[in-house]
Amino acid sequence: MTVVVNSTDDFTLENYGRVATGGESVAIGPKAARTMADGRANFLRLLESDRTQFIYGVTSNFGPRAKITIPPDQQRAHARAPGFRGNWARGFGGGYLDERVVRGIIFARLANFVAGNSKARPVIAERLAALLDGPLPPVPFDGEVGAGEVLPMMHVLRSLRRDDLEEGDANPLANGSPVSAAFAADTALQAGHRLDHAEQILALSVEAFGAPLDSYDSVLDDLWGDEDEASALAVLRRYLHGASPEGRRTAAPASYLVLGRVLGQAHRAVADVQQAAKVSLRSVTDNPVYVFPDEDHALGRAFSTGGFHNAMTYPALNALAATWADLTLLTQRHVTAFRTAAISAPPAPGSADSARPSWSTADAATGLGALLVGLVDEARAAAMPTLLPAAVNDPQDDVSSPVFSAYRRQARAAECLDGALAILAAESSQVLFTCGRDPAPPLQHLLGALRAIFPPVEGKPRDLESRAERLVAALAQSAVTGSAPFGERGQQ
Amino acid sequence: MTVVVNTRDDFTLGNFRRVCYEGESARLGEKALRVMTLGATQKPATAAPGPQAARQARWAAPGVRLADGYLDAAVVRGILFARLASLVSGYAGVRPAVAERVAALLDGPMPRVPLDGQAGTGESRPMAHVLAGLRRDDLDEGEENALLGGAPCSAALVADAAIHARHRLGHAEAICALAIEGFRAPLGAYDEALDGLWGDAHETAALRALRRHLDGAGDGERRFHQAPVSYRIIPRVLGQVHRGVAAVEKAAAVSLRSVTSDVVYISDEMGRPGGRAVRSGGYHNGMAYPALNALSAAWADLALVAERQVTALNTAETSGLPVNLTAPGASGHGTYAYGWVANSYVEEARAAATPALLPSVAEDPYADVSSPTFSAYRRERRAAECLDGVMAILAIVSSQALFATGRNPAHPLWPVLSFVRSVFPPIDGTRERDLSADGAHLQRALGAAARSGELR
Repeated sequence: MTVVVNSTDDFTLENYGRVATGGESVAIGPKAARTMADGRANFLRLLESDRTQFIYGVTSNFGPRAKITIPPDQQRAHARAPGFRGNWARGFGGGYLDERVVRGIIFARLANFVAGNSKARPVIAERLAALLDGPLPPVPFDGEVGAGEVLPMMHVLRSLRRDDLEEGDANPLANGSPVSAAFAADTALQAGHRLDHAEQILALSVEAFGAPLDSYDSVLDDLWGDEDEASALAVLRRYLHGASPEGRRTAAPASYLVLGRVLGQAHRAVADVQQAAKVSLRSVTDNPVYVFPDEDHALGRAFSTGGFHNAMTYPALNALAATWADLTLLTQRHVTAFRTAAISAPPAPGSADSARPSWSTADAATGLGALLVGLVDEARAAAMPTLLPAAVNDPQDDVSSPVFSAYRRQARAAECLDGALAILAAESSQVLFTCGRDPAPPLQHLLGALRAIFPPVEGKPRDLESRAERLVAALAQSAVTGSAPFGERGQQ
Repeated sequence: MTVVVNTRDDFTLGNFRRVCYEGESARLGEKALRVMTLGATQKPATAAPGPQAARQARWAAPGVRLADGYLDAAVVRGILFARLASLVSGYAGVRPAVAERVAALLDGPMPRVPLDGQAGTGESRPMAHVLAGLRRDDLDEGEENALLGGAPCSAALVADAAIHARHRLGHAEAICALAIEGFRAPLGAYDEALDGLWGDAHETAALRALRRHLDGAGDGERRFHQAPVSYRIIPRVLGQVHRGVAAVEKAAAVSLRSVTSDVVYISDEMGRPGGRAVRSGGYHNGMAYPALNALSAAWADLALVAERQVTALNTAETSGLPVNLTAPGASGHGTYAYGWVANSYVEEARAAATPALLPSVAEDPYADVSSPTFSAYRRERRAAECLDGVMAILAIVSSQALFATGRNPAHPLWPVLSFVRSVFPPIDGTRERDLSADGAHLQRALGAAARSGELR
C-alpha cells in the first residue's frame, strides 16, 4: 500500500503509523504536485524581481555568516555548495534511531513541501519520498543537539541526490523541525498502547490484592470533574466489570485508592503528546518560508522564521517521562503491598478486622519484587527534564533544540515502566494462583496470556529471569504494535 | 464585598482572586445550606473508621518552620476558600454550621502554614495548620475527616500559581517585544502567515501578542539579515509558556470545584434514608503538581532565551549597537555586566525546574503514596522569581539600547518602556548609581505586577 499526500491535512498520526511502522511508501498526489509547482514558479518570480533581497540561504550565506550576501551570478553555485553536496553529517555515538523513526522523519519532512511553502521544485519532494523505498541510513543518538534539526537531517538525507539542486531547493530539506514531529508521533503511538497495558495490569493488581472497588466508582467522574480522570476511572471499571465482591478488603493502601487520579494524569500526558504530534506533523516549519502572493504582496514573500525550533514536543516528552516514573513508583508500591504482612495477612481467628480478607497475599512471591527498586530509581532519573541546552554554538545559533535528549529519556522511563509492569503482572498472577482466585472476566484473557509466558511459580522456581525478560519484551513489542500486552494466549 | 457560594460552580478563579487577594469574605448561600443539610442527614449513622488517638494526632500538626518560611496569607485564604467546595456540595456530609465556621475563619487572622514538612498522603497535615483556629469540640468523626481530607491545598496552590502566571506571561511578552525593538530584529519571524503554517493555538496566541505590541513598528532601521535564533524562536518558546499557563489554569479550574473528600456520601437512588459511603483517593491531586512542574520548566526555558537576547543586545558585533550600550559621550560599562547577572538567574531557574515527582518515601503500609504539590509549588515560585530577574535585565538592556541609539519603540510599547524607566532610568553616565539596587527594584516590581496584573 502507498500513502498519497496532497496537503498538510494528510499528515495524520494514522498515516504516520502506516509509513513509519507499517512500512508503506509515500506518493506525492496530483494536488500537491500542482501546488508545489505553483509555489516554485511564484518563488522564482519573487527571486528574479530582486536577487539582492535577503532570502536566507538563497541570496545569503548560512548560519553565523548569514549577513554575507551571495552575488546573483553565484547563487546557483551556492545552492550546490559543498556543504550540501557532500556528507555534512557529523554526530556519532549513543546507538542509533530505530529505522521506523527514520522513516517517520522522512514522512514528516514532506509536510514542508506539499503546501508549496518550501520554495523547492516538486522533484525534490519526490526524491525525498523515494528514500522510503530504499535502505535508510543510521542516525546516531549522540551529537545531534544544535539550533534546529540540521544535524540529524544531514544523516537522514545522506543518500539523497543533491548535485543538481537549484536556488531554494536545499533549505527545505534540512531546515525546519521534522525530527521533533516524528519523535512526538512515534512516542504518541506507543504511549497510548503502553497506558492501556498499565491500566490492565494495575486492574489485575486490584483484583489480586482484593482492593475495595468504590475508589473507581462512577460517581467520582463528576465529583472530581476532570475528563482525563473520568477516562481512567472508566477504563478501570471496564476491566473490573463483574469483579467478585466476595472477600474484598474494606481498606487498601493509598497506592490503590489514588489509581484513578494518577492514571488520569497519565491520560493527560498521553493526550498532550498526541496533540504535539498532530500539530507538529502538519506544520510548515521551513526557514525561510515562502508565502503565496496576496493583495499586498504580488510576488509573495520569503522570510526567516524560527519554525525550526519545535517548542512543544520536548516538554510533552518530559511530562510523559515524569508520568511513567510516577506510575513505576506506584507499581512498586503495589508489589510492596502484596509483600507487607501487616496489611496483606488475613485477620487473626476471631478478629473482626474487616479491612483484611480471609486470604493472604504475603505468601505468594515470585522473588522478582526486589528488582523494582532499581527500576523506580532509573525511571526517576530519566524523568529529569531536558531544558533548552546551556551551550551556545555561535552568536547567531544561540539556542539549540533538546528534543533528542527528551526522546531518549522518555524511552528509558518507558522501558523502566515496562519492567515494573511485567513484575507486577507476574506477582499479581502469583497471588491469584496461590489464593485460588480468578480475576474479573475482562482480565482473564490477560492472565492467560501472561501465564503462557510466566506460569505460576510452584516448588523450585526455574528460568524466572528469562521468563520475566520475555514479559518485558512482550510489553515493549506490543507498545509498538498495539497488540494485547502479552500477545494472544498460546501464541508465545 | 462578600463572595456567596451556592454550588461547586461558584469556585472559580475569579472568586478565588476576590477572596485571596482582595480580602473578601465568603458566605454560604441558601442553596448550599439546603444541600448541606440534606447531605448531612444522608450520611450513614456509622462514621468512617479511625481510632480516637489517631484523630487527635491528625490535628496536632507541628507548627514549626523547618527551613523555608510560610505560605503567603493570601494563599492560606485560598485554601480555606477551596475547602468549602467539597462542603457545599453536600457530599462530604458536613453540617452547614460547621461549614459556616470554616467560612468565618476568612474574617480573622490567617494561621501560619510552614512550607516544609507538608508532604504526606493527602493534605491533612497542612490542613491541620490551616484549620488550627476552628472550633471542633462538637465535630463527629466523619466531619473531622471531611475537614482534614481531600485536596484543597493543591487547588489553592495551583490557582495562586495560575493567576500569577497569566500576568507574568503577559509582561514577558511585552518585554520580549521591547527587546525585538531594541535589537531591531526583522519582523518576519512574527508574521501573521505563521499562525496558519505552524497551526498551533498557543503559538498563534504568542504571535498575536507580539504583533499587538509591535503594531506600527517600522521596517526602516532593522537589520537586513535574520536575527539570532533567540529572537526568531521567541514566538514558539512563548507558545510553550502559553501552553504551560493554560494547563495550570485548567488544573486550577478543575481542582477548585472538585469534591475530593476521602469519603463521599451518595444518596440512595431509591430514596431510602441513608446512602452509601464511597471511599476514594480524592485526596491525591494528580494534576496540580505536573502542571506546576511544566510551568517551572517553561519559565526556565524562557529565562534562558531571554538571557541569550540580553547577550545579543550587549554584544556589539552581533547587534550592531554601541559597545556596552553606552550613551553617546558617556563612559563606563553600560549594561554589559547585567548579562553575567542573568546567567546566575538562568542557572537557578534550571535548578528549580527539576520536577517534583511522587515522593519516594512511604509513611506506612497504608500511607504509601504522598503528594508532592508543596514541593512543586515552591519550585515554580523560585523559577518565576528567577524569570523576573532575567526579564528585569532584558527590560533594562532593551531600554538602554533604545536610549543609546535615540530611538523609540512601537507605540504600543511606550507604556511598558515608561514603566521600566520609572523604576530603572537609562544609564546616562551623569551620576553614580547603585545599579544592583536599581535592578532589584525592577525585579520586585515585576513580581508585584505578576499578582496585580499591572505594570506600574
